[in-house]
Formats: sequence, C-alpha cells, structure tokens
Amino acid sequence: MLSGARSGTNGPVAEAETNFARVVVRELVKVFADRKRGEVRAVDGLSFEAAGGEIFGLLGVNGAGKTTTLRMLSTMLRPSAGDAELCGHSILREPEQVRRRIGFMSTATSLYGRLSAREMVTYFGRLHGMRAEAIARRIDELFDLFDMHDFASIRCDKLSTGMKQKVSIARTVLHDPEVMIFDEPTAGLDVLTSRTIIDFVTDCRRRGKCVLFSTHIMEEVEKLCDRVAVIHAGKLLANERTEALQSRAGSGRIADAFVQLVEEHAGGGP
Amino acid sequence: MSISTVWTVFCKELVDVLRDRRTLVFMLVVPTLAIPGFMWATAELASHFMHKLARERVRVLVLNPQAAPDLVSQIRERASPLGQALRLAQLLEAKGLGMQDLAMVEGEDPEAFLRLLDRRGIDADALFAEIATEFGSDALDRSPGAILTAAYPPNLELVDSLEPALGDPRDPRSGKQVLLEAVRTDAIAAALELPADARLRLGSDRSARLTIHYLDSSDRSAMAFKGLKGVLEGMGRQITAQRLAAHALPAGFASPIEVTPSRLPGPGLLVKLAGQLLPYLILIFAFLGAMYPAIDLGAGEKERGTLETLLVAPVSRLALVLGKFGVVLLAALISALLATVSLALSLELGFLSELSVLSGGSFSFSAVEVLTVLLLILPVAAIFSALLLALSIFAKSFKEGQSYAGPLQMLILLPAFVSFLPGVKLDWCMASIPVVNVSLALKEIFTGNLDQHWGHVGLIFVSTTVCAAALLAFAAWWFRREQVLFRS
Repeated sequence: MLSGARSGTNGPVAEAETNFARVVVRELVKVFADRKRGEVRAVDGLSFEAAGGEIFGLLGVNGAGKTTTLRMLSTMLRPSAGDAELCGHSILREPEQVRRRIGFMSTATSLYGRLSAREMVTYFGRLHGMRAEAIARRIDELFDLFDMHDFASIRCDKLSTGMKQKVSIARTVLHDPEVMIFDEPTAGLDVLTSRTIIDFVTDCRRRGKCVLFSTHIMEEVEKLCDRVAVIHAGKLLANERTEALQSRAGSGRIADAFVQLVEEHAGGGP
Repeated sequence: MSISTVWTVFCKELVDVLRDRRTLVFMLVVPTLAIPGFMWATAELASHFMHKLARERVRVLVLNPQAAPDLVSQIRERASPLGQALRLAQLLEAKGLGMQDLAMVEGEDPEAFLRLLDRRGIDADALFAEIATEFGSDALDRSPGAILTAAYPPNLELVDSLEPALGDPRDPRSGKQVLLEAVRTDAIAAALELPADARLRLGSDRSARLTIHYLDSSDRSAMAFKGLKGVLEGMGRQITAQRLAAHALPAGFASPIEVTPSRLPGPGLLVKLAGQLLPYLILIFAFLGAMYPAIDLGAGEKERGTLETLLVAPVSRLALVLGKFGVVLLAALISALLATVSLALSLELGFLSELSVLSGGSFSFSAVEVLTVLLLILPVAAIFSALLLALSIFAKSFKEGQSYAGPLQMLILLPAFVSFLPGVKLDWCMASIPVVNVSLALKEIFTGNLDQHWGHVGLIFVSTTVCAAALLAFAAWWFRREQVLFRS
C-alpha cells in the first residue's frame, strides 16, 4: 500500500520519517499514442517494491517497458494511471521531491561536452540546491574516490569513455541520493568501463541505497541483483528473489528462466 | 521555481554557448563585420567595374553622317579622353577628386559638390580659378556633372558602317532588329541617327532631332547612351550660346526659368538610408543571433543526450526554459546591437561616411531615442527567442532544428522588409502587426520622427511584450509535453 499518510507531510519529523530508501510502485500504466499503431500500452499495470540495501533488477528485452518505467519513476514521464512513491514521495504529487532523492544514470544521460568535469558536477550540485562549500567538499571526496583529479579541468568532450562514466557517476551521487536508478548503464561500454559501473552499483547496495537496475543482460542480473522483476510487453511476469528465478529453470540459469516465462506468457500459461 | 535556479541555469547555458564557436561567430563576428564588409566589398567592386567600363572604348554607329559632317567631327572630338580632358582629369585626381567622387555628387543637390570639396579640404574658388587659368575662363561651369563630362568624356569610336553580315541598319523594316543584334554581339554599343536636314536646321536657328538607339539592359550600351547624350547636350548648350550672341540676346532668353533645389536642413539621404536599413538589419540580426543558441540549447541538448540528465535534476521545467530563454535573448540582443553599432559607425566614421556628403547630415540620437529603440528591440528579440526555443525544443536534432529555423527566417524577413517599402506609414493598423510594427517604429525613430509616434510606440511596446510573454508561456508549456521532449 502506498504510504498516503506520509506523502504531503512537512516539517523535520515528517522529513525524517520519509527519508528512507524505499520504492513502492502500484499499478503503474503508461499509454503512448502512436500514429501508426494507435494506443500503445508501454507499461501495463506494473507493481513492485524495492527496499534500501538491495539491488532490484528490471529484466526484459528491448522494448519491454523498462526505460519507460524508470522514466516514470524519475518523473521524466507522467504515468497514465497508477502511482509510485520514492522515499515516501509521490511521483505524481511531489516530482521535485522525488528528483531530490534519486540518482539517475543511463547510457543516454550524457555530459555537457563544453563544460569541464568539475564544472559539470558543480552545475548539478547547484541544481540540487547545495551550497558552494558543500559542493566543493563533496567534489573533493568523489574525485578522490574515483581518481578524477587529473582530468577535473578538462572539457568533457575531450575525455575518454571511462573518464566520462566516472564524471557521470560523480554527477549522479553528488547529492547523496537514497534511491539509485540505473537504466542499462553498461550498454555499449567496454569491459573495463562496465566494471567501473558494476563496482559502483555494488557499492551503492553496501551503503544502504535502494538500487533499481534495468538490463537485458542476464549475466549482470545473476551477478548483481538481489531480486528481479521480469517485464515483457509492459507486463510484470515475475517478481522474486534472484535464486528463486534461477531455480525456475532446470539449468539454474536466469536466461532459461526468462525464456520460459516469456513463452508461458505468450501461450497464456501460468 | 526560484530565481537562483533560473540564474544557475542561465549562467551554465551562457558558458556553454560562449564556448561554442559556431554560436560566437553568429552572435559576435557576423553582425560586427558582415555589414561593413558587405558594403565595402559591394562599393569597391561596383567602383572597379564602373571605372573599367567607363575607360573601355566602345563603338557607336552613326547613321546618315553626311547629313551633318561638322557635327559628327565635333562629337568625335568631344567623345575622346585625350588632350584637355586628360589634363583636367589629372589636375582633379592630384587634388583627390576621382571619377567616383564626382559621380557621387552629380545629383540634384548643388551643395553636395561644395560639401565634398570642403570634406577634402579643397577651396572651391581656388580650384575653379586654377581650372580657368589652365583651360580658359569659360572652360567649365561649376556643376559636378559638367566637370565629370569634361574630365571623363565617354570613350566613343564613331563608325559609319557595320559588318555586312549583320544586315543593313538603314532598312526601314529590319533596321532596328539589325541594330539590336549589333549591340547584343558587342559590334557596337549604340547608334546615333542624324536627320537628313540636320545641317540645314542647325544652320537656321532651328532644332535638329537626333536619335540615339541603345539597349538599356546592356551596361555598355546604357553607358554609351549616357555619354553620347552628355556630349550632345554640351554641344547644344554651346550652339545656344552662339545663337544668343549672334542675335545679341541675353543668356536668360533661352532659359527664362531656372530651378534651384534648396535642401531643407532636416534628415538627409543618409538618414533615409539608415531609416530603411537599420530596422531591417536589427530584426534580421536579432533573429540570426538567437538562432544558433536556441537550436543548441534545445535540439542540441536532445542530440547530445544531456536532456535526460537535466530533466532528473530537481528543478522545474519553467526554470529550465527561463534560464535557456535568457541566454537566447541575450544573444539576440547582443547580435542586434552589434549590427546597429557596426552599421552606424560605418556610416558615420568609416569608409561609408562619404555618403554623408550626399546627405549633408549625419546621425545624432538623443538618449530618449536610444532608450526607445532598446525598449522596442527587447520584446521583439524576446518573440524571436521564444519562438526559436519552442521550435528547437520540438526538433530531435540540431539539423532538424535548422530545417525549421530556415523557413521561419523567411517569415521574419518579409515583415522586416517593410521599412524599405516606400510610402508605408506607421499608423494604428500597422502598429498592431507584430514585427512589422517594430520595423516601422524603428524607421520613424531613425528618421527623427519619434515625436509624431509616441502613441504608436506605446501600443507597439505593450502588444509586442504581451506577444513575447505569450510565446514564452507557450515554450514553457511545450517543454513540459512528453510528446515534444521524447519524440521518436
């Protein structure tokens, strides 16, 4: 159940109450009007919950509705029906509060090429309403952590892919968000750069963040996710712990379990 | 939405835009250098080719020369840049008066020539005294046209016949067609036809009707016509003087009425030119200045994939639009102001200042006029900025954004061009048409008529501001639409 009592409350006590890493999604629907195909239900009644300290995987083929779901959760898109709460804030009623509490990263979230790495991160710190000293302190911490000082003053369009990903990560976590949303963050990246991302995702879980991780790469799910929601054609086919999903197939592999679920769905099976 | 967020977005976008060479070129370099550069190049090229054309020796066919052989030999003598003409040209050029200068002041305004002499530091009386000493006291009257004709006579070679292959120009039926073909093939530039009784008429105090055949679409032919006409008119004046002397009549007998134009000390040609050009350029450069930043900050954001990054920041879409709009507007204003200052300085101080000789006046604006111009440019630049930003937000890529901005530019060019249309006045009807109203209001201000149009200016400012605000609201609404932001 959505915590309606918490949403819309103000003041320090209410803030402390709502300020925990948790995502609750209920009956989320997104319908797009398409000139050729008519109405397209990209997301069709999705519900799930994810808690702090876990990596919640959204698994599905391209076009399954993962990106649309994550765009709704990050308030870029408005749901056609349903709602979701992130850290107790409704994506419909408090989109700015939601955005304050999330870090969103995907291969599509690029950098401003004409800004330096430091300027890029500073800009987003300001957009998050952080004070200049806090931004400077946090940048020092993050640039130490990711070994970014050598290219801090270089324009982003001159950076290597790996450096760019580090800047992206620093931009994402600068405001220390409770919920991290990763939409296929390793798509198209080389092994070393992917490793940086994967290590970072794992670290987010260790630090108690609620992590939503969408991918179509089965191995990443096996390696990273604590629980998995399998999405196909906008519908939720399964929502269970990774081990439980693996055990669905005789081989113990997620890929086989995924195919089995999709086939059951197509055949109108259980 | 807080002002500080809008300011943060504005500052970042400004830095981003200022680091983009393409935008910088369109915002700073083009408006500063394009106008004087274009005008200089056009003037220099026109002058170069005019000189070349003027010095070129062209053939003129004389039809029926036996009707007045003396007249023909006089024309031949006068239409040749040798002897006296050459020496006169050398004398004038030594003083810094070239053919181009004399041609520039060869108009209705008799004072223009004196202003030119004054500008060059030449004493008019001393100059004409020197000419009289050198060439005889009655050699020239003081008009620049006469001096121009005398120093730079047309370079004509009179011929009696054409290549037989071209046909017979004297044929009453096909003669004109033969002449046309001869001019088109550069065999001749023009033809002078003498009437059979020319000699008789000229010798008996009557007038002889001479015909010049020419083709006005041909520069060479038109030049030959002008030169020949000037020579004949000069000869006509000489014959008149001889006739008057022979009959002991005063000079006024042949010209009972003389007209002297007297220019009132108001805005001159230069101001009129500025009144037409400046509004047009201001509007065009405001548009061009806004175009690249707008496309960059909207469609460019989508193309580079930074839009998602921005949309997940905890700021309102309105704050993002306002920050971006501020930068686009600033670019439009800088571009328009640089274009204005650049043109004004070119006209007033630079090589175009020669034009002020024609005009006899120059620019001078009061603080109120400058302020009014700025107050009118601001909302119209805001209209362009909001419109371009809305289009840019809709476009998926920089290229698509440019393809939308192109036709829009044509739509802006047309109403901006109204300042060039003769007789279009700023009235209540015109004052209600966006862009057209600002173009006409700027024209009135630049020609010193602001005091006649305070009411119109007030209406224009209010209506343009309302229009700009509506378009900005539209851009903000547009930026909230998923169908626009995530078009695929």
